[in-house]
Amino acid sequence: MKKTVKPTRKDFYMEIKKSPGRFLSILFIVALGVAFFSGIRASEPDMRLSGDSYFDDSRLMDIKALSTYGVTEKDVRAMEEVDGVALAEGAYSADFLYNTADEQQVIHVMSLQEHMNQVAVSKGKFPEKAGECLADDEAGFKIGDKIPLHSGTDDPVSDTLKTDTLEVVGLGNSPCYLSYGRGSATVGDGSVSAFLLVPEETFDMEVYTEVYLKVEGAEGLLAFTDAYEDRIQEVLAKVEDITEERAQVRRQDIIDEAKEEIDEAKEELAKGKAEADEELADAAREIADAEKKLADAKVQLADGRTQIENAKATLISKQAELDTARAQYASGMQQLSDGRVRYEDGKAQYESGKAQFEAEKLAAEAKIEAGRQELQAARQELDNGWALVSQMEQQIADMEAAPPLPDDPGYEAWLGALEELKGKVQETENVLNGQESVYAAGAAELDAAEAELNEAEAGLNAAKTELDAAEAELNAAAAELSGVPAQLDSGQAQINSGWSELYANEADLNSGEAEIAENEAKLADAKKDYEEGKKEAEAEIADAEKEIKEAEEELSDIELPKWYVYDRSTLIEYSGFGENAERLGAIGRVFPVLFFLVAALISLTSMTRMVEEQRTSIGTMKALGYSKGAIASKYMGYALLATVGGSVIGVLIGEKILPYIIVYAYGILYRHLPAILVPYQWSYAIMASGAAVFCTMFATIMACYRELTAQPAVLMRPPAPKNGRRVFMERIGIVWRHLNFTWKSTIRNLMRYKKRFFMTIFGIGGCMALMLVGFGLKDSCYEIAKLQYAEIQFYDGSVYLEPDVTKEQREEISDTLKDEKDVTRYIDANMQNITLVNGKKERAAYSCVFGNTKELPDFVNFHDRKSKEEYTLSDQGVIVSEKTAKLLGAEEGDTVEIKDEEKGNKKVLIEHICENYMGHYIYFTPAYYEKVYGEKPEYNSIFFSVKDDCTSKQMEEIGKHVLKLDGALSVSYTHDIEKQLDDMLRSLNLVIVVLIISAGMLAFVVLYNLNTVNIAERKRELATLKVLGFYNGEVAQYVYRENILLTFLGAVVGVVLGKFLHLFIIETVEVDSAMFGRNINLPSFLYSLLLTVGFSMLINGVMYFKLKRIDMVESLKSIE
Amino acid sequence: MDGFVSLKDVKKIYKMGEVEIMAAAGIDFDIKEGEFAVVVGPSGAGKTTVLNILGGMDTATKGQVLVDGRNIARYSQKQLTAYRRDDIGFVFQFYNLIPNLTALENVELALQICKDPMDAREVMEEVGLGERLDNFPAQLSGGEQQRVSIARALAKNPKLLLCDEPTGALDYNTGKAILKLLQDTCRNKGMTVVLITHNLAIAPMADRVIKIKNGRVSSITENPHPVSVETIEW
Repeated sequence: MKKTVKPTRKDFYMEIKKSPGRFLSILFIVALGVAFFSGIRASEPDMRLSGDSYFDDSRLMDIKALSTYGVTEKDVRAMEEVDGVALAEGAYSADFLYNTADEQQVIHVMSLQEHMNQVAVSKGKFPEKAGECLADDEAGFKIGDKIPLHSGTDDPVSDTLKTDTLEVVGLGNSPCYLSYGRGSATVGDGSVSAFLLVPEETFDMEVYTEVYLKVEGAEGLLAFTDAYEDRIQEVLAKVEDITEERAQVRRQDIIDEAKEEIDEAKEELAKGKAEADEELADAAREIADAEKKLADAKVQLADGRTQIENAKATLISKQAELDTARAQYASGMQQLSDGRVRYEDGKAQYESGKAQFEAEKLAAEAKIEAGRQELQAARQELDNGWALVSQMEQQIADMEAAPPLPDDPGYEAWLGALEELKGKVQETENVLNGQESVYAAGAAELDAAEAELNEAEAGLNAAKTELDAAEAELNAAAAELSGVPAQLDSGQAQINSGWSELYANEADLNSGEAEIAENEAKLADAKKDYEEGKKEAEAEIADAEKEIKEAEEELSDIELPKWYVYDRSTLIEYSGFGENAERLGAIGRVFPVLFFLVAALISLTSMTRMVEEQRTSIGTMKALGYSKGAIASKYMGYALLATVGGSVIGVLIGEKILPYIIVYAYGILYRHLPAILVPYQWSYAIMASGAAVFCTMFATIMACYRELTAQPAVLMRPPAPKNGRRVFMERIGIVWRHLNFTWKSTIRNLMRYKKRFFMTIFGIGGCMALMLVGFGLKDSCYEIAKLQYAEIQFYDGSVYLEPDVTKEQREEISDTLKDEKDVTRYIDANMQNITLVNGKKERAAYSCVFGNTKELPDFVNFHDRKSKEEYTLSDQGVIVSEKTAKLLGAEEGDTVEIKDEEKGNKKVLIEHICENYMGHYIYFTPAYYEKVYGEKPEYNSIFFSVKDDCTSKQMEEIGKHVLKLDGALSVSYTHDIEKQLDDMLRSLNLVIVVLIISAGMLAFVVLYNLNTVNIAERKRELATLKVLGFYNGEVAQYVYRENILLTFLGAVVGVVLGKFLHLFIIETVEVDSAMFGRNINLPSFLYSLLLTVGFSMLINGVMYFKLKRIDMVESLKSIE
Repeated sequence: MDGFVSLKDVKKIYKMGEVEIMAAAGIDFDIKEGEFAVVVGPSGAGKTTVLNILGGMDTATKGQVLVDGRNIARYSQKQLTAYRRDDIGFVFQFYNLIPNLTALENVELALQICKDPMDAREVMEEVGLGERLDNFPAQLSGGEQQRVSIARALAKNPKLLLCDEPTGALDYNTGKAILKLLQDTCRNKGMTVVLITHNLAIAPMADRVIKIKNGRVSSITENPHPVSVETIEW
């Protein structure tokens, strides 16, 4: 057998193909509805999940416990032993003050933990040693900043920390601080502005300040769920059970320790006494020494004086000596020059003598020479004579040598010859000798002349020598004299230096005298000090003795330490996170329902129309013998397919995008949420899809039912035309008569198609309402600053004073404010952070006491939000801000408590509840404050107002003036707070955009759908109008009139609906710290209306083309 | 000589994909002013096409359509609408009254847009519905509804009254009464009436009978002595 597509099935597919618009419109509206429903519903668990995964990853603690006496290592171990506790870890924390250029901040310093509350470093590194810290990355610290800390109390920082300055080495965030809030503190202005994380060893404390616990099995549970809370409460109760015992142990320890300390103190006192005595003795001895030294010094000084006098005398005599020496030198110089003159004369004589002599000498020498030559010639002759003599003597000698014998004849001859010869020689010799003596006389004469000459020369030479000697003598004398001036100068210099030395010595001497005088004074002081010290030491000893005594007495008074055990809600913003998630849930339960309702109604109209259109076809099928089920199945299938398709699309897109956007929007508040988890929440998906399927199926069955029960014959005939009906308005003749016929028809039409009427009104109203909520949210949030500071708190700024401010300082500040010309008024106030308790509910609030109750209405206006009835503060009770009272669940006339862990809670009566938007306040009169606290309020701040035309700059100028004064701690301005608020509310913008877009989508789908159906139903009527000669525009007008009317009716409904929805949503989304306005401003109404009308016009524009396409031939056809 | 209404070689061709359907294959006829003309022919002969073209609801593919000397065949959509609203009175087979308006209001609806209307009440009196002014269409019988429809058409004071099978949905007697009303209107007011029907039996009451077959005029018969409707039986 050939397999063929069943005709019914084919018909089914053809149906979808033929009318994709209808199919898609159902699909789309279902998708929208399901997406909104499941998406917004899923946001709640998704937000919790995102938070929980962060808490688990950072190993956030489950329970925190602390006691008034700190937590010992033993306590930590004991806690860990508790059943259900997985881990216990001790930690330190403390609050300090940090002075910046213009204000004082409170800094919360915590120790880094190894196992819990893991910190994420966003920049820089982990601190590794004491002195380093990881700073809060919201606080504006930079790496490398040095933060000097002050304790803010009488105890020094070193009591707690090893170092009082911390260097920022990294920035990061802690899971303990989810958002911007940093909690409160007991020092400074009471609100912590930043935290610092330091290595554990930075703390120098004996005991931990707190212990953190992790609960077994809690990590597997989703935070903020009941399962988690129950588990924690179970373990928390067990932990609380052991705190009693721990407290006892701790008390005993402290008593023991104290006893030991007292003993030690006693010992120390004894030692101190001895030491003090010794010290005093030393001091006395020292004073004596000093006195002696002083006397010695005086003696030395006198010596010095004498020495100086001596030296002065010496110097004066030396000067005299020097002066004589100088005179001698002058005379010596004179002599020298005289000697030189004489010498010059002698020299001149000598020169002339010498010249004469030289001339004589030459003549004498020539004579002498001539004499010598004569002598020489005489000598020659003499010598010759002497030579002849010698020859004759020779001949004699020869003849005597060879004498002949005396008998020899010749003898007589020879003798005769010899005798002769001898005679001759004799003779010659005589002559010669005569001559010789003449010669000798000549020679002598010559020699004498020569000697005379020599003698003259020698005389000259002697004179010369004498002259030379005189010269030498003169030179020596000159040389000697030339050295004298230098000597004289150096002598003078020596004398001068002698003087200056003398003067210096004299000055020394004088200063020495002064010193002595000083030392004498010091000595006197020292003596006085000594006396005082002695007295003081005695007093101290007495005090110490008293203290010890007191301590001994106190020992018996030591109370049990108080233990506090908290769960995670003690963390700042933790509960807020959970509440925000819950709020989302609340929105998710209401908001999407609107969408869902519209979606269901849309599918109902679409399916009804479809079934009606196919009346004939249904009749034919019936006539052919198809069962009701088989016929209905086509429509059911059609609706089912569209719905399931739409649901799938809606779930897939809606559950991813919407929670992401919403959690992301909250991420502006919870900045450190590392990841946004948006898993599919199948329960919501199934819930939404199931509801969608149910609605459309139900609508379809209802539509089919009527047709299916009819007889086929009836079905194949055209339906009886619907009867025109008079409407209520016709009774008002005046109005009715003035309407033209198209208007009449329009109005009757509206009344006739009731389903469409309500659907459209609901759709447009819903759209309008959503937009109104969107814009209204913005109004409510942005308005609060204006309302708060224009209608409730009129002051423009406040000056906070130092905790230890004196009366004079306060007056000075007041006077400064009085002198500022822009300041119109000011008032003393006491501002304190307190915690209000009503039953189990707790809220932090500011307690305010104003110094002057009469002037108070100029600063704060107390009135009821709704009735605007004004209240005045009385001494019978307090006025509490509205939101505070609401959160506490308290009403006028109720009594609530102010938490005081040390002295017990204090009861206050709420006399009135006043309108207030920002923060929580509880207002006292000074008298009532005194009644409650038992002490007068200390005014720690001054509120002031400025002239209206005073700019913020001028105001800051005033602040600067005030801050210069001692005693002024900080100044805050309301315009700063307004700005902060704006930042905080930015996160809402995204939600508002989502609302407006979805509202637009809703409006579009609804209007499009309804108009399409409307036109399809009235094709014939419209065609007739065309045949009658209505222009396209007029035909369109005929239809538009209805739309416009419906749009405005819808808008009116939307205004009402929007008001309620807005109120509901405001109440669910508003944060605890502020009350949002309940107002929607006129522009928001206008914007919403314009947008709604705009959407409506857009649809009308689209419809125009549909209308234009209507064929006039339709009018000729028989009625189907 | 041209008549008050004159069709000259009017052709209308519908294109259905690749197939061309010739609904009017060259129609020629003239109708004089004040005449009661009946266009007859079997279904599918092209009667409705003639009506549509003459009524300004459709345009001729070819040829001239002169009404009171103006060639509406060349009119734009806007001109055609103006033509419909000022020159034509239309009587539908299924009356096509606006269900939400009373009988009187239905008439007034048409008057609201026209230049030189008659008084609605008077016209209603004329068509014999003086007593039922404030009834809604659903409260009226078929004949009464058709009377309202005729009143609506007449009140506009049109040049031409076009009636599309005005008795098609009515019983014999009512149909006759309606025809009588139309004939009287023609006679008394000098209104040019064009009546389109498949019922050849009513031809004797017309001044001119135009028979159409297969998209062409098969014959035009002028009837010098039309009879009153009452005398006709079918």
